[in-house]
This record gives sequence, structure tokens and C-alpha cells, in this order.
Amino acid sequence: MSGVVGTAMRRVDAAEKATGAARFTGDLALPGLLCGKVLRSPFPHARLVRVDTSAAERMPGVRAVLTGGDLADLDPYYGHAIKDRPIVALERVRFIGEPVAAVAADDEAAAEEALRAITVEYEELPAVTVLGEALAAGAPRVHEGPLRPGLFHGLGDLRREEGNICYHYHFARGDLESAFAASDVVVEGEYTFPAVYQYAMEPHTVIAQWGESEITVWASCQHPYLVRAELADLFRVPLSAVRVIVPYVGGGFGSKSYTKMEPLTVALARKARRPVRIANSIEEAMVTTRRHNMRCWMRTGATRDGAVVARQCRIWLDTGAYADNGPRVAATAGDAAPGAYRWRAVGVDAWAVYTHTPPAGSYRAFGAAHMAWIGESQIDALARRVGLDPLEFRRRNLLRPGEEVRPGGKPLDADLVGDVTKVAAAVGWGTPKPPFVGRGVGVGLLAAGAQPVSTAVLRLQADGTVVLLVSTTELGQGARTAFTQIVADELGVPPSRVRVAGADTQVTPFDRSTGASRSTTLAGTAVQRASADLRGQLLEIAKRVWGLPLSALTVRDGAVWHETDALPFPELLARHFGMVGGELIGRGEVRPERGSGSYAEGPVFWEVCVGGAEVHVSPETGQIRVRRLASVADVGKAINPQLVEAQDEGASLQGLGNTLFEEMIFENGQLMNGSLLDYHVPTTADLPDAFHTIIVENGDGPGPYGAKGVGEGALAAVPAAIVNALADLGLEIRDLPVTPERVLRCLGVLGAPAGTGGAAP
Amino acid sequence: MLRPFEIHEPTSIAEASRLLADHGEDAAVYAGGTELILVMKEGLAHFRHLVDIKTIPGLETIAYDGAVLRLGALATHRAIERSAVVGRHAPLLASVASQVANPRVRNVGTLGGNLCFAEPHSDLGTLCVAWDAVIVLARDGEERSVPADRFFTGVLETVREPDEVLVRVELRPFGPGTGGAYQRFAMHERPTAGVAAVVATRGGVIQHGRIAIGSVGPMPVRASEAEAMLAGAPLRDEALREAAKAVGRHAEVMDDLYGSAAYKRHVLTVLAARALREAVACAREEDA
Ligand SMILES: Cc1cc2nc3c(=O)[nH]c(=O)nc-3n(C[C@H](O)[C@H](O)[C@H](O)COP(=O)(O)OP(=O)(O)OC[C@H]3O[C@@H](n4cnc5c(N)ncnc54)[C@H](O)[C@@H]3O)c2cc1C
Repeated sequence: MSGVVGTAMRRVDAAEKATGAARFTGDLALPGLLCGKVLRSPFPHARLVRVDTSAAERMPGVRAVLTGGDLADLDPYYGHAIKDRPIVALERVRFIGEPVAAVAADDEAAAEEALRAITVEYEELPAVTVLGEALAAGAPRVHEGPLRPGLFHGLGDLRREEGNICYHYHFARGDLESAFAASDVVVEGEYTFPAVYQYAMEPHTVIAQWGESEITVWASCQHPYLVRAELADLFRVPLSAVRVIVPYVGGGFGSKSYTKMEPLTVALARKARRPVRIANSIEEAMVTTRRHNMRCWMRTGATRDGAVVARQCRIWLDTGAYADNGPRVAATAGDAAPGAYRWRAVGVDAWAVYTHTPPAGSYRAFGAAHMAWIGESQIDALARRVGLDPLEFRRRNLLRPGEEVRPGGKPLDADLVGDVTKVAAAVGWGTPKPPFVGRGVGVGLLAAGAQPVSTAVLRLQADGTVVLLVSTTELGQGARTAFTQIVADELGVPPSRVRVAGADTQVTPFDRSTGASRSTTLAGTAVQRASADLRGQLLEIAKRVWGLPLSALTVRDGAVWHETDALPFPELLARHFGMVGGELIGRGEVRPERGSGSYAEGPVFWEVCVGGAEVHVSPETGQIRVRRLASVADVGKAINPQLVEAQDEGASLQGLGNTLFEEMIFENGQLMNGSLLDYHVPTTADLPDAFHTIIVENGDGPGPYGAKGVGEGALAAVPAAIVNALADLGLEIRDLPVTPERVLRCLGVLGAPAGTGGAAP
Repeated sequence: MLRPFEIHEPTSIAEASRLLADHGEDAAVYAGGTELILVMKEGLAHFRHLVDIKTIPGLETIAYDGAVLRLGALATHRAIERSAVVGRHAPLLASVASQVANPRVRNVGTLGGNLCFAEPHSDLGTLCVAWDAVIVLARDGEERSVPADRFFTGVLETVREPDEVLVRVELRPFGPGTGGAYQRFAMHERPTAGVAAVVATRGGVIQHGRIAIGSVGPMPVRASEAEAMLAGAPLRDEALREAAKAVGRHAEVMDDLYGSAAYKRHVLTVLAARALREAVACAREEDA
């Protein structure tokens, strides 16, 4: 080991990014590259009577205009979970912002002019733009007909549900009614969570080229292999005829998971027979994907002496006009709903519901961010009712490592009691509080890892450099740096001798996805195994050269050693191949070790969501100031502590935004704050007064050196901690974001809460 | 995306004004561009001719002649915040300028642009109205002065004629016994509510107070009921509190994405009380 694992080694892409040398999809130039622009629907639900593109087609500089009519030779529906989304609107539009046509032109101005020249005749249809309308009896249907499963639904049986229900997730254990009857105290409430935008600095950007034998796509996507599969399926070509290349990605947070603008860009390039780039603006990115808004009803029971007994929960998640990742979000919310407690009985129903609004998909800590604050606020309410300190109440009831979390799933693999004790101390638990200051903690679990399938290849070059081929995408999270550290240590080479190639499905081997906090744990294990494979090959060669047993050999400093004799890697290669220039290939794979690797048997690990907050509330304006915020990064092993902290801080700040002010406001399906001027993304100005990330390294993860993923948990923990800190001040929060106005309503200053706490449908 | 436009670079007000007259609705004054370019990018407005007044010499000047502080239309928020002259004669203005928007907007956004755009969620308009600032508009060869509280006529609307250029804003520093304050509340880029107060006192009595509220309605306006309550009132906190309540009670307030009318009324009351107290404290200092 050269000892870089566990150190705050500088990011391998730091200089490139700081100087602007790093290339993103928007920076690439291709000969003949056209500019693509999208015409979007102004109606939430309408029939397309006529789309007339003739004037646009005749305009100078316009090379192609795409409409639904160009897709007659395809089955143009995609969706990794449910194939419900056409590449471009066919007979009807289902949300404001849905692509109706696309133009490829020589430059942006020509493309924009052409969009204005397209005339579309719509016949407006009744729309359901909020959950209540969508769930009402006899509501207009967003989708007719049977649901067709997508390529990667992972949902078991997909049944057609009633009305606008897209997916229903259910699990139960124990006898709920008798458990609630046996509870001395029961708290119950209805809650809402807003639609939120995942703001990534780089909006979705795709270049597509339709070649003779290959479709080539450069995309700011998180999961190149899943995009490849969906494109191959849509355009009826073999998998290997689609090549997806992912340069640096300017942030994802889930907004670039699965397939987004790629099919439309490919279809436009197919028509234009020229490479085309479509680059969303921020305003377009906001209607491309978002976080699910939600309504929830929950009740929780406990005994008088402070033991939790039962929890029941119903969750309605607004997935918008297309399923996107809604079914998985519903399942993950369902998994997160019970929290990490020992229940006698628990029952959860979660529904993803179609509405005529922009589709909702993944966003960091989905499901857990939706649910942790609700469950945890009920835990605090119970603690107060039975007269126990909320921290003590949790110590008594939290699951211990090895206990079952969800029937049939992975048992708990973390020390939650230790974690919550640490954050509580960090926010001053038990010390005197100034006026209008409250403290709270939150604990939750997030099913992480998605499916455990990743592969990696290492190429040892003639000069002793190692090139790592892995399809994890670099989104800013630092995957390339962590992998470099693993390879450097495993092979005994300095980090400067390791290069990590960008994801390219023709070159870098399969990785299921970059998300669900999985990369260091799963792709990192594949990288570690590929390194071990390569090290083994080097040792074998040295053994042959020296005629010594393996036990007499060690690997360090770019060489194999026997006592004080060294065979540097380049020399080993030359001896092995009999010439200078050959290379050794190491390979590593991760696949399910037990069972099928399905979500039902998972997760790969439980990501810990533990945080604490200390807040001050102004009784005059209702403004909340976060004085202290603490989160635990329970990582098993911090391969790079600085990156771990950065992940946790980013998630905490987004959590703060989700709790205090972020909300996409829709009126009749129209986004009212659809720009960064009106939608407040958290910035440094919103930082809490003090910010603690507590790194916990218990070596209890399934990844390299006992590592497990982080980066999402804090986003679920922070809302729970803040809501409980407000509860400490007597504020019962039922609706996020907790705007100053809501605070004043809770305080009774402005009269009863109006239009909040949305009654469960 | 920005549609193509032509930039004109006049070197005098007269030339700018002629260009504006010639191109009519197709032309706009281009100062810092922080508002103008945004609305053009979003496709909310399109002008084929931008008249860049940054090429007119002297429009950014800030000067004090012993009685009146003159702020050129092109003075940026940052320049106002940093100006020694403003710091000496109108520190309140410097402090408000330092709170506007974010560093990018403050570095290029101008006083003239802020006032002429007349976006309801503005700090400077409110302050100018309470301060009885004079806004000077010019066209080919003539100038006219408009009191700030008659400058704004509605959302994004002012009395400025299309061929007029705002050339400067004139303020009189507070005299002895007079103090001013501004209080704002912001959750988003722009303020949710703002209250400016200028209070003149003598011998424990409020001679008169001018209060302006902004960001809550179509334009900044005077809180005349509250002002009437202040005139002749004793310098006691209760009087200030009652006036503050009147500010909230009588305000014309819109419901919008920044909050409900009820909430804004409440915040106005809180801000008015804070602003009046601060203005009175500052008047006492001036008096001492
Ligand atoms: C993100 C953001 C946040 C903001 N937050 C705040 C805030 O917190 N408080 C606040 O008070 N303001 C705020 N503003 C407004 C800000 O003060 C203005 O954007 C800025 O001062 C405008 O000046 P400009 O020179 O850039 O104007 P421009 O964009 O150049 O012009 C704006 C308008 O005024 C016209 N115009 C400009 N100058 C003249 C002139 N001299 N004569 C005639 N017409 C003219 C233009 O034609 C145009 O219509 C914010 C703006 C933004 C974009």
C-alpha cells in the first residue's frame, strides 16, 4: 500500500476544472454539428390537431424539423420503469413543457426562428394538475391502456392500477389494529412535501450522431449503459451499435439519471443525418425532471413507558405526466417510512400518481427525504407525550446492527445509536438554550446501492502507468479521485501513475449506474478486484523470472520486490512479452453474492440519514436561522475524508433548501417560478452559522476497506432535524417548505393555517 | 436565447434621446443590462435597438455641492456603496445599496436602471420615495425634475417618456434632528417587503415623518395614514408602534409568490416599527 486511501488527496480533476480545461458535453465540437431546439407544449393536456412545420422547414439554415409523424417506423415509447413516454408528443400533450417538435439548424438563432414558425393547433382537454384531482373518481386519465414495463423496472409484477395510479407499493408486518389498540399513545397527521428542482449547474446536454453503423451519443447522463439499452431498444439496433460517451458532468443529483433528452436528440439527428446538439436551458431543465411532491398520512403508536409499537402510513407521490423513476421513488419512500425502529406491526402503502405536470424522477435521497421528517416528527411527538427526552426515546427504540429493517431485506448494518448520540452532542443537546432556540435530531435509513452489478478493467501500460476503465460517471462527486486512491494503494503506485478514462460504452465496461450512493461501494470494489487481479499477474511474472515462491515477493513503489531486489513494472512487462510495448489487463466484477440482487432482497447497504439542528425562530417575522447543523457520514471507511465531507455538506445544504424555502409552484400545471430568479436554489448565503460533518468509520460497509456510500443521507436527515428543532419550540410542522409565513401561521400570529396540511385524498 | 439586436453608442443625451425617438418601441436604453438582458433572453421583450448610455460621459458621477447630493444614473450599487461622498452625506443610501441583490448585480446594475425598470420588488425606489428624492429626466436639450413619489405609475411603469433618459437622482442629506432608516425582508433574490422612514424631530416631538412601503404592491407608495399619526406625536415608542400598525393596516398589498397579503401586512408592521425606531435613534444622534 502506498497509503493514499484514507487521506484527503487532492481531486484528480481539480486543476482541470479550476482552469476551465475540463470538457463537458456543451464544450465539444463536431464537424457539421447542428443546433437543436425544442418546441414545447403550452397546455397541460391537449389533443394535437395539427402541427404545421412547412414554413419552418423552408427557413434558411434549417436542416430538419422533427414531429411525431417522423416516428411511424418505431415503437417510440420509452421509460426504464414504464414505457409510457413518446420521444416527442404524438396525439396529445400531457404537461406544459412537453416537447411537441424539434428543429435542427445551422445555428441557435435559425433554430429559434424556426420554432416560432411552427404552428400547432391544440384542442384543450380537461387536465388533472394536482393529486386530489388525479385521484378523484371519474378523473380524466393521463394514460389509457395497459402499462408496459420498461427495460429496468425492477418492480416485480407490474399491474395496471385504477385510474391515474401509476404504481402501488405495499408491505405489512404484524397485526396493525391490535398493535394500535395496544398503544397507549398514538399520534396521527397529514403532511405535504413540495415539488423541488434538482438544480445542476449544467442543464441536460446531448449530442447525437446517426452514423451508417453506429449511433453515437455524447451526453451529460449519469447511467450511460442504461441509456444505451433504451436507445438500442427505441431505434431497433443492437446494443453494440449504440455508443454512449459521457464527458465530465456538471452535477446530476438524480436529474440526469436514466434517459432524459437522449431519445429526442437521436431522433432529430436521424432525421437531419447530421450530428445535433440539444442543450436545455435551466428553464427547460426544470420541466424535464423534478422531485415528486407528496401527500402523506401517518400514524404511530407507543406504550406509556416509551416503547414504539406500530406505524401505518399512506403516501401519494405526484409523478407527473410520465412515470420516469416514480415507481422506484414510491418503493423507496415506502421502505423509508417505518424508519429504523423495532415495530410490532407496520403497514405501508405508497402510490405513484400520474398528473398533467412535468415528470418527476430521482433526486438525491428520494423517498427518504420525503419520509424521514414525517416519521421522525411523530417519534418526537410520542417522546414528548410519554415524557421522555427525544434522544433517550430513540436510544431505547432504534434498531441495533443485525436487526431486520424490512421483511426479506438486508438487516441493519450501522450503529445508529452511536450516530445520533454524536450529532446530538454537536448541536449542544442538553445544554441551556437561549430564547426562541430549539434543537432536534433525525434518524432515517435509505435503501442504497441499486443493483449490485459493476465491472472494471485496468490496463498496465509499458511505462508502468495504469489506465482504469470504469463506467462510473464523474458528476463532481469525486469518483475518479476515490478510484485513483484505491488503485494506487492496491498496486503500490503513486496516484500520478493512475489515469481514469471517461465513461464510453464502447470502451469502458459495464456499470449499472452512477447514483444511489453506490459508486465507491460497488464500482470501487470492482476497481479493487481488478487491481488485485493485476497485482496477481505481476507477482506471477516475477515468480517466473526469479524462480522464487510468491510468499517471498511483495509489491510496492511500482515494482515487485524480493528483499532489496526490485523488478519495476515496465521491466516485468518487457520480460513477459519479450518486447517493450505489451500490456497487462486486470479485471474485476461485482455481482449479487446471494440471491438475484433484486431490490426486494436488497438493499446493498442501508445508507444512514442522521442529523441534528439548532435553530432560532424570529417570533416577529417567522424567519428561521439555522445556528448549528450536524450530520453523520457513516461511511464505514472514508477513502477520501475531504470528499466525504463535501458530499455531506452539499446534501445538507440541499436539505436545508428543501426544508426552508425550495418549492416549484404550479398553477393549473404551469410552473410559476420556473427560473433561477424566482426559484431559490440554496447558495453560500444560506449556510448555517456552523456546520459539522461527523465522519464515522466502523468498517461495516460492503465496499473496499469496509466502505459504504454517503452523499444522500444528510438530505433526508436535515429536514427531520430542523422540523424537530422547530417542534422543540412548540411548532408543529406538517408542510414543507417551512417558510416564515408558515412559521407565523403555526405560531397563531396570522390565524389558522390556511390551505396547508393538505387533507389526504 | 437573445435575438439579434443593434447597439448604438451615443456620446450625448441629445443623441441618445434622438435614437430613442427614431426607433420608438423598437428601442431601449441599455445601462447595466441586469434587467434588460434578462427579459430579452427570456423572450419577454424584444428590442432591435439598444441605446447604450454608458458611452455618454459623466453619467456615473456622484457629487455633493453643499446642499444636494447628485447621483448620476449610471452609478452602480457598488459605486454608491463605496463612494466616500455618499458615505459622508447619505450613509443610509450606501447601506441600502450594499443590500441590493447579489454581488454580480451590484457590480453592474445601476441606480437609473433600478428606478426606470420599476420592478415592484425594489429597495431603492422605496427609499427614494421616503427621502423625497428628485428624479431628473432629460431629452434633447431639456430636463425635468419629478419627485420620486410621482415617478412610479404601476408595475414596470413610470412617468418617463420613451425618448427621455434618467440622468440623475437628487437627494438632500438629513438635517439636524432628522434621521432615516430602511428595513427589508427578503427570502428570494428580490425583497418581499421594504419600509423606509425619514423622521424629523424637535424637542421630544416628531415634526413629521415620511414613510414609504415597497415590494408589496405595484409600486412604492407613502403610508399617509401613518405619516398623519406621526405628525406632532411625542417621541415615544408607543407612538411609533401605533404608526407602524397603521402602516400594515392601510397598506395596499398583493398576494404573490413572495407570500400572502396577510403575511406581508404583518411583516410591514414589523419592519415599520423597526425602521421608525431606528430613524428616531438616528435623529437623536444627529440632534446631539
Ligand atoms: C437577480 C436580481 C436580484 C435583484 N435584487 C434586487 C434587490 O434586492 N433590491 C433592489 O432594489 N433591486 C434588485 N434588483 C434590481 C437591480 O437593482 C437592477 O437590476 C439594476 O439596478 C438595474 O440596473 P441596470 O443598469 O442593470 O438596468 P438595465 O437592465 O440596463 O435597464 C433596466 C431598464 O431600465 C431602462 N433604463 C436603464 N437606465 C436608464 C436610464 N438612465 N434612463 C432611462 N431608462 C433606463 C432600460 O431600458 C430597461 O428597461 C435585482 C435584480 C436582479 C437581476
